[in-house]
Amino acid sequence: MATKTKAGPTKYEISINGKTATVVEDTYLLKAVMDAGFNVPTLCHHKDLTPDGTCRLCLCEVETNGKKKLVTACNYPVRSEIKVKTNTEEIKKHRKSLAEMYLGRWPNVETIQNIAKLCGATDKEKYKSDITDENPKACILCGHCVRACSSFMIQDILGFAGRGIKRHLTMPFGDVDPHCVGCTSCGYVCPTGAIQITDEMNNPVDPELIRRHGMKVNAEMATLDKMQNRMREVGTANIVEVMDAYDLLPVHNFKFGKHPDTHKIDSKVMTRDYFTQGAADACWLGCSMACAKAVDGFELKTGPYKGEKVVVDGPEYETAAGGSNMGGFDLDFIVEYNFYCDTYGIDTISFATTIAFVMEAFEAGIITEEHTGGKKLNFGAMDEALECLHEMARGEGFGVEVGQGVRRLKEKWVKELGADPEFLNDIGMEVKGLEFSEYVSKESLAQQAGYAMAIKGPQHDEAWLIFIDMVNNQIPSFDDKAEALYYFPLFRIWFGLLGLCKIVWNDVAPADNSKYPPQEAAKIPEHVENYWKFFEGMTGIPVDEDKMLLQAERVFNLQRLMSYYFGRGTREDDMPPLRAIGPATVEEYLSREERYDKQMKEEIGIDPEGKSAEEKLAITRDHRFKQYNKVIDAAYKRRGWDENGVPTVERLKQIGIDIPEVMALLERPDQ
Amino acid sequence: MIEVNNKEKLDWFEGMTVQDVLDKMGYIYPRITVSVNDQLVNKEDYATYKVPDNARVNVFHLAHGG
Ligand code: SF4
Ligand code: SF4
Ligand code: FES
Repeated sequence: MATKTKAGPTKYEISINGKTATVVEDTYLLKAVMDAGFNVPTLCHHKDLTPDGTCRLCLCEVETNGKKKLVTACNYPVRSEIKVKTNTEEIKKHRKSLAEMYLGRWPNVETIQNIAKLCGATDKEKYKSDITDENPKACILCGHCVRACSSFMIQDILGFAGRGIKRHLTMPFGDVDPHCVGCTSCGYVCPTGAIQITDEMNNPVDPELIRRHGMKVNAEMATLDKMQNRMREVGTANIVEVMDAYDLLPVHNFKFGKHPDTHKIDSKVMTRDYFTQGAADACWLGCSMACAKAVDGFELKTGPYKGEKVVVDGPEYETAAGGSNMGGFDLDFIVEYNFYCDTYGIDTISFATTIAFVMEAFEAGIITEEHTGGKKLNFGAMDEALECLHEMARGEGFGVEVGQGVRRLKEKWVKELGADPEFLNDIGMEVKGLEFSEYVSKESLAQQAGYAMAIKGPQHDEAWLIFIDMVNNQIPSFDDKAEALYYFPLFRIWFGLLGLCKIVWNDVAPADNSKYPPQEAAKIPEHVENYWKFFEGMTGIPVDEDKMLLQAERVFNLQRLMSYYFGRGTREDDMPPLRAIGPATVEEYLSREERYDKQMKEEIGIDPEGKSAEEKLAITRDHRFKQYNKVIDAAYKRRGWDENGVPTVERLKQIGIDIPEVMALLERPDQ
Repeated sequence: MIEVNNKEKLDWFEGMTVQDVLDKMGYIYPRITVSVNDQLVNKEDYATYKVPDNARVNVFHLAHGG
């Protein structure tokens, strides 16, 4: 019986050779048959490629409402309660004669010989003719390579030309296509060896090992991405609406985590109205994830190129979220500031976070139109924000000050305008002089520490732990958080050292990743292994978790020591602004009053009843800084650093970098 | 009453499904793994799998990129 529910997929009970199986609607019959334990011969089918239905070997009999017909199982989607037979006399006859024809044409190809055996075809002579190809590595026209090129690489380099017996594999105009990226996917999926890989660029020690693991990524992108993060379709912007739903999208200088207008800038609007290029256009041609997106023909409304139509690379998630952070819920604005930041060589994140800070200071009356050159810089003042950007590039007016970033603006306004330093420090979203990237970290201690402790400042280069901490609640204790703050930065540093992109680590996951317990699943073990194999395939040196962590830990400690030597890497440099770890203003407290009151009662043990908002804010502030200090204490300890956040001599010895040049970094010239 | 991710409490009602829990929690991220009392629930069963009263529901989100 078919069971249909509001949100769930329809399922059908089908009968396969008399055996009952429950199948989700649109499952291909071949998969259902195989899952039920029956074997059907195939030639053009490949598990990672879209079905083709050309070889006709997978014929099965399907009965609906008493009517029987033969179908190719590999591309027949189950959409009703059918009765299936996989091996009737009629089917066997068909398969046998097909197999005999294949055998007559390609008698020495092993794949064909195996199929022939399975179908009971033994007579090599029956269909022998002048098109018979005795080559054991002949092309059998299975089409795997054509489909791999299009679904793994989003390229259409290979195709078939000619009809009937003249059908053959070719590149456009029968010539070698210069657009071929040399990914070797076609050679990898070719079952006969008709496509040979002859050139191993960069001289890897074991190219096959690299290829095997790389192809796993390709296959996951081709088959799973559309159900997972849709990186090919929308890139990283897929999470704009997700972050809003989880109260994590920065709005108005990180005050809030969601906004009623988010739907105006979410990935649906980007794909519908903006993105025109979906193929790999940027990082490097040949990446099967192809998450970089572009907007073509965008007409600029401001600045030196006003009125011109341009191509814009992006926007990515953080650029869009920078929009919401400035109160700019308008994709025209976001694409425009994206273009000009790229053109001027300005980081979109630093720009957006700085402008958001300026806007809050403007609304709080710390600066006025007198300081901004007449610009009313309230949240949502998009034209004015763009004008600041142009001024910044021209080296004129208020834009010059904005271009100095949050830290220098704070110092300047305290010194020159007598602004309240505590307020500015609370709301100025920077650590170590770098502006925060676009996530609200208030409810995740591990995320706060991962960001604020990061050597180059608050961004996800080292750790992005919001989901495993705040949402999944997988690392509840300080020790758990410290462990995550040990492992993830090291892993991320390690693949950074190899020059490998991390998106293919965690923006797609193997279908069965959930077989691991959650703590392990969070690491996506099979993808970590891919990276180890890339390393081993290239260098010939096998690597495992311990070796990987050691390699990374040496570099990580060296980086920390260098930053210490130059006056940055200690506890005070790891301290976040209040806004990053909790509500910084009464307005913010009241916007999530129920949540904060509940926490006060349950976590701090103080009854909020009868307290003013100011009192409650002060209690929360105090508590959150204490918690933050505890988490970095635990993380320092796990990393083998002292309580000031400086690597200990003992740790440097353990990891084998206690050489004089490194030890000398402990002698800080300013102390 | 059921508990989600060892933290959030939700009122239970007769016929409550995994999908109801996800809707109530606002969990719209596509890459999640759900278990009810340590029993893994397949995606295609979210809308039909009944969550018993006092259940421990775990909704594990995989980290995303950036
Ligand atoms: S090497 Fe890659 S891009 Fe070139 S034809 Fe083969 S699959 Fe296509
Ligand atoms: S070259 Fe290989 S993969 Fe491509 S059609 Fe021929 S046999 Fe199939
Ligand atoms: S496997 Fe070739 S038609 Fe199904």
